[in-house]
Amino acid sequence: MEHASIGWLLNIGVSMALSIAILALVSLGLAVMFGMMGIINLAHGEFLMCGAYVTLSLTRIDVPLWLAIPLAGLAVGVLGYGVERLLIRFLYGRLADSMLATWGLSLIMAQLTVLAFGPSTQGIPTPLGSLSIDGYSFSRYAFVIIVCAMLLMALVYLMFTRTSYGVMARAAVQNPAMAAAVGINPRKLNALNFAFGAALAGWAGGLLAPMVGVMPSMGEAYIARAFMTVVVGGPGIITGTASASLLLGGIENVVSYLSTPFFGQGALLIVAIIAVRLLPTGISGRWQRQL
Amino acid sequence: MHTHASFFRRPDSSMTPMLSHVTSRLTPIRATLVLAILLIVGSLWMPDFLQSQASNWIIFGLLGVSLVFVWGKAGIFSFGQGAFFGIGGYVYGIASINLVAVTNETVSAVVLATLGAAVAAGLLGYFIFYGKVGDVYVGVVTLASTLVLFTFMSSTASPVYHVGDALLGGYNGMAGIPPLTVGWPGGSPVALTIWQTLAILVALAALVLCVLYTLLARPFGYIVSAIRDNEQRTQLLGYDIRLRKLVVFMIGGAIAGLAGALYAAWGMFISPTVFGLQQAALVVIWVLVGGRASIAGAFFGVVFVEGLSTLLGSGGGNATPVVLGVVLILVVLLLPQGTVPALQSWLRPRTRASSTPVEAPAAEFSGGAVDPLMPPGLSAGSSANSSLRVNGLLKRFGGLTAVHDVSISFAERGVHCLIGPNGAGKSTFFNLLAGRFSPTSGQILFAGRDMTRAEPHTRARAGMGIKLQIASIFPGHSVHENVWLSAYAKLHSRAAAEARATEIIDWLGLGPLRHVLAGELSHGQKQWLEIGMVCATAPGIVLLDEPTAGMTRTETARTAALISSLGRYANVIVVEHDMAFVRQLNVPVTVFHQGSVFASGRLEELQQDERVLNIYLGRHGGQRA
Amino acid sequence: MFNLCGKSLVLALALTSLVPAHAQSKDPIVVGSILDETGGLNIYGKAMADSTRLAIEDINKSGGVLGSQLKRVSYDAQSNNANYSRYANELALRDKAVVIMGGVTSASREAIRPVADRNKTLYFYNEQYEGGVCDKNVFNTGVVPSQQLAPLIDYAVKHYGKRLYVLAADYNYGHISADWVKTYATKDGAQVVGTDFIPLDVAEFGSTITKLQDNKPDVVVSLLVGGNHIAFYRQFASAGLGGKMTIVSPTFGLGNEQTVLGAKEAKGILAIYPYFQEVDTPANRKFTALWSSTYGANHGYITDSAVAVWNGWHLWAKAVQKAGTTDRTKVISALESGISIDSPSGTVTMDGSSHHAIQNTYFAQANDSHGFTIVGKQDAVPPAFEKEKCDLIKNPGLHTQFMPGQ
Repeated sequence: MEHASIGWLLNIGVSMALSIAILALVSLGLAVMFGMMGIINLAHGEFLMCGAYVTLSLTRIDVPLWLAIPLAGLAVGVLGYGVERLLIRFLYGRLADSMLATWGLSLIMAQLTVLAFGPSTQGIPTPLGSLSIDGYSFSRYAFVIIVCAMLLMALVYLMFTRTSYGVMARAAVQNPAMAAAVGINPRKLNALNFAFGAALAGWAGGLLAPMVGVMPSMGEAYIARAFMTVVVGGPGIITGTASASLLLGGIENVVSYLSTPFFGQGALLIVAIIAVRLLPTGISGRWQRQL
Repeated sequence: MHTHASFFRRPDSSMTPMLSHVTSRLTPIRATLVLAILLIVGSLWMPDFLQSQASNWIIFGLLGVSLVFVWGKAGIFSFGQGAFFGIGGYVYGIASINLVAVTNETVSAVVLATLGAAVAAGLLGYFIFYGKVGDVYVGVVTLASTLVLFTFMSSTASPVYHVGDALLGGYNGMAGIPPLTVGWPGGSPVALTIWQTLAILVALAALVLCVLYTLLARPFGYIVSAIRDNEQRTQLLGYDIRLRKLVVFMIGGAIAGLAGALYAAWGMFISPTVFGLQQAALVVIWVLVGGRASIAGAFFGVVFVEGLSTLLGSGGGNATPVVLGVVLILVVLLLPQGTVPALQSWLRPRTRASSTPVEAPAAEFSGGAVDPLMPPGLSAGSSANSSLRVNGLLKRFGGLTAVHDVSISFAERGVHCLIGPNGAGKSTFFNLLAGRFSPTSGQILFAGRDMTRAEPHTRARAGMGIKLQIASIFPGHSVHENVWLSAYAKLHSRAAAEARATEIIDWLGLGPLRHVLAGELSHGQKQWLEIGMVCATAPGIVLLDEPTAGMTRTETARTAALISSLGRYANVIVVEHDMAFVRQLNVPVTVFHQGSVFASGRLEELQQDERVLNIYLGRHGGQRA
Repeated sequence: MFNLCGKSLVLALALTSLVPAHAQSKDPIVVGSILDETGGLNIYGKAMADSTRLAIEDINKSGGVLGSQLKRVSYDAQSNNANYSRYANELALRDKAVVIMGGVTSASREAIRPVADRNKTLYFYNEQYEGGVCDKNVFNTGVVPSQQLAPLIDYAVKHYGKRLYVLAADYNYGHISADWVKTYATKDGAQVVGTDFIPLDVAEFGSTITKLQDNKPDVVVSLLVGGNHIAFYRQFASAGLGGKMTIVSPTFGLGNEQTVLGAKEAKGILAIYPYFQEVDTPANRKFTALWSSTYGANHGYITDSAVAVWNGWHLWAKAVQKAGTTDRTKVISALESGISIDSPSGTVTMDGSSHHAIQNTYFAQANDSHGFTIVGKQDAVPPAFEKEKCDLIKNPGLHTQFMPGQ
């Protein structure tokens, strides 16, 4: 570490914020599914990948990126709705079976994508270029990602507290029998929950597409870490994801910088293990938060 | 968070009543031995490649069996059996490369590998089970552990990373691993041929299976299945479940390690991919396809899934993952229990005992010289200091004080009721006594011993019998097995426990239902069963939380009689809402209010007391928080 | 109903898995291939598999080998290393292939090697790797560091500057190649100011970019591999570092990075391979025409790995013709006597003592039309390190992989 200048500090800070934001982004959809429905969706990475590919295809037909990404998320949400109706709804309460079936689904989705788009990586050029502060270059798009991560968490919060769907969904989680008794349709709610979780994954994929390579197996890189973030985070969808991302993403980034990304990854895993040991119900479980 | 605990503990209806299976318990072992012999002999006629393929499948099958044992049988969802598989493989590689020149054999390497994996499982298991990590989180921790190993082993590329002559090899893997070799120092090494390898593998697998089947038929096996069925109840009976889970996990780790060593010997190669996510998921997939709780199913799952991928890989390369994915989904939707149990039930339809509700038996509860109501195992004269004293017990949850400086003393024997309006703190107080919460401050003395922070199983062993509000029995076991498990916890003798169990079931009047699955009993019957289970542990003090919840009038009356008779021999503390029941018991009563003892005395007096009426009706007279 | 369906499904599938996939016929010569056509590694494996098909068809069209046609048995290892051992066993024992060609990563090679050795089946590894393998039964046509990195570092130091920063994929190839870079840099009087090892599944390079900005090297030597690492080039460009330091790489392009990145993101990156699709020789024109006619004009970029596979098959075929038999020992002797073929990249000769290929290498820079512009060439570059350490003619019992510094 050479000069402790403003530019350098900013660079470290932005890099860390970016790591945390990316982890939060890829985990949010999984958190919704796990927290709201108790489903472990091993195809989560593939929904993310779908969002990236839809974004890619839209930009190829000249839809501007800032429009393509939201549309991609919605498209993946629709896909999620369909998947829920056709497959997931048979699997509630069967945690292990949901893992098996969604693993099968992930194989299918990945290979269909290969057949449709080919195996090689494709890409979208990163927009917005860079800006220079104190001799250090920053990618403007990194800021976009950080801001969007926060926006999406705010969106989740608003969805669950301000819309009738959200309020019903939370009620159904707290007391399913009672919710059904007052007329909330659990089946429709489940489908919407899953669709929402899928859409979040799609938005994450779309946002990441200009930064990383878009390829059929891109989901694999994220599923394990997303899974761990969700479990370490605990039942609170937003508080859990945010706190776990801060903890795991922050530590990974710091350790990567101080040594190598290999140790960074190892550190993330080890911290996850220790966190689960010390806080068996997750970070937000301690605080007894639902959101 | 949902009670995800229940998602992992579906009752396994393949556990059948014990007494009638003295002979049939040998059947899985006999079947295994017969199959093994057939396979060894039959494989002489198999072409080379099929022998080699079969060896591979048996190795993976063993890995699957390790997961079936820890998950299907004991309810521990380990996502990291691959970790022990890999450790076994690497230890075999290191040991064999270094030793084979000296000892001319690699059998010792296999043994070392198995032990190494068992030790690793012991360390991880200690961390998990003594740290009270549960269910999904066990899955996460085991997954994270195997991924850590993957990351670590992938980076050992440089020649610096070596153990003796064995280069760890990093991502490329460890090369130059000798195949299974027999010999002795000073002699000459004999590498086993393909058929010989297969024969040894079959024999080893058969041995492992026989050991497992034997273990599962012993009390150890029943306790393990009880842990899977209802972990909390097992703990409350006095079993140290942490230790047992650790043992199970170590056995599972050892089997996986053995498989790993054999795998490294078979392929003469091992690489870090064995620690990866794909391998971890594959083990789960084999087991789920074959049947989570079926040991034979593990082999079937391996052959099916791996056979299918091999077939697809040599044909339609492009379609392989799609076909495999579709097959997995179909298996989940159409064969939820897995293929082997489905096949079994197809071939041998089980007759489920019809759940005939039993009316309260006609037994008259008359007095007499020999007390027919005496709960078996408890003698009238048993001294067993069964006093319970509580000093200044305080429990705070964040800003809420649920139990506020309570000091009570419960006399030696007899029934005592705790009542109070909702939110009075009775349940919290109960849970403090039972050890489910630990107090913020204060002291609990049972028979003079400090039990304030004792683990639930320690309390049970000290003579505290606990029955929670929701009937906590073993729904996947028969009535007899339920009581046997309770008796065995105290008596430690199979025969004695059998006798005691029979006595208690008769005493409860549940004789005709002896072999019915407890999950199929009516609500009231379940509650009685649980009372009987508590009695079977010959407790000095019994804590009952709303034992008549959901019962009919007749059932309530009978329960009152049971508890009264129990009260002659033990110290019984009952938390109750049902005033009619409390009246039937006709015993001293303590009223709770806002976390403190409000009043005590006999029910008739209290029912005249204005203050007590106020707190029940929420009138002004009662204090509000 | 469901249950019955399910049960019949299970039985049917269980039975079919026992049926052998291929029947044997007597006349054709059975040859085997194992590559990753699906899964994450297929960004390399698919082109190699396409090339396998093309090469064998080409050999068969010219009359086959020793008057017999070649029968190709290929397996898709699905990017799962465990499958390599399995399929190698099958090729050797069941299909009785006379040669196995396959493996993408070094890990897959190491899985095939012991099986091929034990069953005495000849094995070709046709892919760029970290070098040093020395095994009588194994032949390598892929390019190795002494053919790639030495000239690359030379060129970089001469044209761009003496301060080098190395970014390497965190596995054997990356580590060993990074060691080579240090060796060659020292020889050229240059300095490696920093080295970072990036795990294969990392796609986020924030801390790396920070370190680059801290250290300000002249040259970034990229030994990054795999789909996730493409993100580095993109993030590098978007941080505006393209003007400040030049990227040189012996791996850029193998996964079609230049087609994935935007034109501005890739421009100027210097790569070196024995083969680029843009190489202008009669042999290559014929080859690319053949590829287009088989796989369509819109085919993906033909990578060096694909041509290494092509070379492997043709070298083997020629050696069999020379030996007059498919017997392994005789074919090995033929290969060791020095076989050359006219490859799309120029003349490729199998170096008998080291079992590695002597081939041309081209320098090229990524241009702004998603391709490469060739800027330099070296003829008949020998695998210097392998030649130095490994003489399998004199020492046929050698059975190891040499590392730099040994």
